[in-house]
Amino acid sequence: MVQLAVENVDRVLDDNNGQKINVLEDINLNVGSGEFISIIGPSGCGKTTLLRLISGLDTPEKGRVEVDGNVIDQPDVSRGYVFQHGSLFPWETIKDNISSGLKATNGRNYDKKLVDHYIELMGLKGFENAYPHQVSGGMAQRAALARSIVLNPELLLLDEPMGALDAFTRADVQDVIQRVWKQTKTTMILVTHDIDEAIYLGTRIVVMTPRPGRIKEIVDNPLEFPRKRTSDEFLQFRRQIQDKLNF
Amino acid sequence: MLESVTASHKVPTKLVKKSTSQTKYWKPYQTRWNLISLLTLVVAFLENLLVPAQELVNNVTYRWFLVAYFAYLTIVYVAGAVVHGKVRLYSGHFAQLNASIGILLVIQDLLTEKYANIQQPFFVSFAQILDQMKTDHALLLASTWSSLGLWLVSFVIGTIIGIALGLFMGRYRQFNYWAFPYLKVIGIIPAATWMPLTMVIFPTSYLAEIFLIAFSVWFPVAFMTIGGVQSISKDYFESAKTLGFSESQILKKVVIPGALPNIFIGIFTAMGLSFTMLVISEMIGAKVGLGWYINWAKGVGNYTQVYAAIVIMAILFSVIFSLLNKFQEYALRWREKTN
Ligand SMILES: Nc1ncnc2c1ncn2[C@@H]1O[C@H](COP(=O)(O)OP(=O)(O)O)[C@@H](O)[C@H]1O
Ligand SMILES: [Mg+2]
Repeated sequence: MVQLAVENVDRVLDDNNGQKINVLEDINLNVGSGEFISIIGPSGCGKTTLLRLISGLDTPEKGRVEVDGNVIDQPDVSRGYVFQHGSLFPWETIKDNISSGLKATNGRNYDKKLVDHYIELMGLKGFENAYPHQVSGGMAQRAALARSIVLNPELLLLDEPMGALDAFTRADVQDVIQRVWKQTKTTMILVTHDIDEAIYLGTRIVVMTPRPGRIKEIVDNPLEFPRKRTSDEFLQFRRQIQDKLNF
Repeated sequence: MLESVTASHKVPTKLVKKSTSQTKYWKPYQTRWNLISLLTLVVAFLENLLVPAQELVNNVTYRWFLVAYFAYLTIVYVAGAVVHGKVRLYSGHFAQLNASIGILLVIQDLLTEKYANIQQPFFVSFAQILDQMKTDHALLLASTWSSLGLWLVSFVIGTIIGIALGLFMGRYRQFNYWAFPYLKVIGIIPAATWMPLTMVIFPTSYLAEIFLIAFSVWFPVAFMTIGGVQSISKDYFESAKTLGFSESQILKKVVIPGALPNIFIGIFTAMGLSFTMLVISEMIGAKVGLGWYINWAKGVGNYTQVYAAIVIMAILFSVIFSLLNKFQEYALRWREKTN
């Protein structure tokens, strides 16, 4: 992937009373190869809705979503998606979950070494044959991440993958994501409502506002890697983003 | 290659299984109860031996049965006393139940063959039933095989049809729209209703019986399967799509396993109905099988034979039930245990 383009996108949905509401309004976003975009905004501002349009799970009422000039109208293995609640298949072991996409696309001769590599990388060794309900939330999210990343997608969409985790586990998974991003150079778009997380990971921060969901501002992240959550620059940039979120 | 996460979870603690036998066999091991249960069998033996019978009964088989039962319990109890773990839990848990069985054996023997308190010949002693089973063993064995074969073929056919229809109706709206209303109206009719027609429509009574039993099975299975498919979270379908699953892979890897818990509920409901239909159709149409045996015994007025067949059915159906239960436990091993 060279370029993802979201142009003048509106998403109109029916609310519970049958009224039309603009969940997303006039969204414009360009993402280049190798970027890490953090989308931040309060709950209900349309972050998931936007991510679903980019993946192709939904299509917009107005505007276009394109990758390298091709309109996205259905999901594809080239765009990985890690769901908010992981959604590992509960009936498959951790290992089978991670290899499920490879099996689906390559049949029986999939790359088993690659699966083992990611099991090792994600700290899941010893849990290959466990079922999802038998492992911790952090492990389940790392497994869900591995399941998508093992397919070597051009674009990885992450919908609050750390949302349900405690602070320690969250920092742990954030580091895993960052390491994978640096090593594989996969373009990533992360949705979050955690400012620290957005700043720690993103090369650009997309700030969204609710009702209707709009992009308020897109801010370049000036911080160099490796980033420290407690450095002065980090805290200063954090205040800057915090101000943009207070409306 | 990337270096691994600094995860400190080296030991899969959550994988250490909490002993299921501990929750299954919860009654504490008490030597007292083990001895009491053995004693009740001794009493049953002596009672049968010493109390004079009102009628002529060959008690040899019954006494051998008691001896075998006594020997089995002794082995289990001795093993439980020596070996710890599962054997001990098992041996302790069932001691009280075994004692109750011993007492019931004494009571039924006294009521029937010893004092004839309850009406003969409609009630017979367990000793008579066992003796009958021994005399009739060849015919009973053949009947059992025949019933088992008929049931198995019909149940498998009915289950496959039920699952297939259920999966398609649950997954595809168009198919559901056209098929469901018709199938619902047909499926709600009790299978036995078709008996008069199947007798004349099918070329052989065996085919008619297969149809009737399979008919009692497919509907509950199909109905539960539809619900199972529709209860699968949308997330799994969407994950599957972003992972590159084709439609047939979605059916195999998402729809079937996701609906499986409900499919099993349907299968267990259908199992009871299929046993009913098996016996009814054998009683009416067949020349073989346990249902036919009962009907024939009733005709000649030998109620001991009726009981013999009932005892065999109880054993046969219990074994089928346990096997299906084991199969379910295995197939749904991915589910979180609730206890
Ligand atoms: N399928 C839908 N039908 C109607 N409204 C929806 C639907 N999905 C989301 N919404 C509404 O759109 C808004 C944005 O939702 P979402 O994208 O999930 O927000 P976020 O992920 O930022 O928390 C919410 O107000 C939600 O109620
Ligand atoms: Mg969301």
